[in-house]
Amino acid sequence: MTVLIVTNEEDVTADMVVVHLNASGVPVVRLDPADLTGGVALSGEYVHGAFRGHLSSAGRLVSINGLRSIWMRRPGAAAARAATPSAWLTEEAGQALYGMLRGCDVRWMNHPDAARRARYKPWQLRLAQRCGLPVPATLITSFPQAAREFAERYPDLVVKPVSGTHPQDPPRAVPTSRVAPDADFSAVALGPTLLQRRVDKRADIRVTVVGDQLLAAAKVTTAAEAEVDVRFATSDAPWYPVEVAPRVAEAVRGYMREAELAYGAFDFVEDADGTWWFLECNQSGQFGFIEVDTGQPISLSIAEWLARPATGEQPHANGASAKVP
Amino acid sequence: MQPFALNYARPAAELEVTAAYVYDSGLQLNVLRDGRIAAGDHALLRELGTTTSTAGSKTHFDD
Repeated sequence: MTVLIVTNEEDVTADMVVVHLNASGVPVVRLDPADLTGGVALSGEYVHGAFRGHLSSAGRLVSINGLRSIWMRRPGAAAARAATPSAWLTEEAGQALYGMLRGCDVRWMNHPDAARRARYKPWQLRLAQRCGLPVPATLITSFPQAAREFAERYPDLVVKPVSGTHPQDPPRAVPTSRVAPDADFSAVALGPTLLQRRVDKRADIRVTVVGDQLLAAAKVTTAAEAEVDVRFATSDAPWYPVEVAPRVAEAVRGYMREAELAYGAFDFVEDADGTWWFLECNQSGQFGFIEVDTGQPISLSIAEWLARPATGEQPHANGASAKVP
Repeated sequence: MQPFALNYARPAAELEVTAAYVYDSGLQLNVLRDGRIAAGDHALLRELGTTTSTAGSKTHFDD
């Protein structure tokens, strides 16, 4: 039984997992949907009530029924590197590939449907609240007056993209940024804007969840650090392992169950009282930098999750299993 | 005037990794020029920042 890894070639973080799978002798096929009709090909037939499908990538052929798990990492757009790419071909190729894969009984990390839903930040915030995780006061609005009133109630605010995406024409980053006290909120009318009470943090926290495992790390915020967004922090303070309080662990596991995720990278900030404030959960968040700093076996945990033998039980999107009635 | 959040935009950082390693489709891994597996060189990964949460990348919107 083979592990299918769906990602781009440059994804060296995925390599960290492939190395472990190779060491344990688990067959791996790695493909990028962008290479469909080039280095990647597919075929599936639905005949006499049965399905038989195959994928090939760089000369490797695998039966879709012979997959034990699928790891969705950083796939390119389907057929993006085809000889004659087009939006139509991308749709056709994506429908064919993901439609076939959706029909097979394998465990996903993460299922595309669960992943799509989990990317909605407003949905994340509400789920985190329901699971009992502290969420900083947040407003998402296109009403300038609502933004002004929120800023009066919470004078120290940050702004961040609702979607987490960044403009590409030209390529720009929109980090979480502190809002100036005298900010003019008129431009809120031009696009939904996410404003959030700034937490005076003493550390950033990353909780990486792999199946039932929680691996937490912290990075101390130095007094001189001007950046709110840890991704832009100038500090070279390393990440180090920390324990997860049982109450937080229970809430995080509840979130994962509700979201039907097998993998999640939770970002928190820790305040002076030691409270972990939920910021977001990236369903495919990077983990290599945490492992490199902390030595935590994240890539091994992912490899072990992916390598678990097929059980013949009906899988859920998050890899949990239930008896087939 | 532009949407409020874009007032805080800055140029995206580009990761320059193309010369450091290349994908080997036989191994299904990226390898360094000397043939070693790139993922095993943690010092290099830290230096290049290729396994790091980034903002502004065209494809890596899941940080």
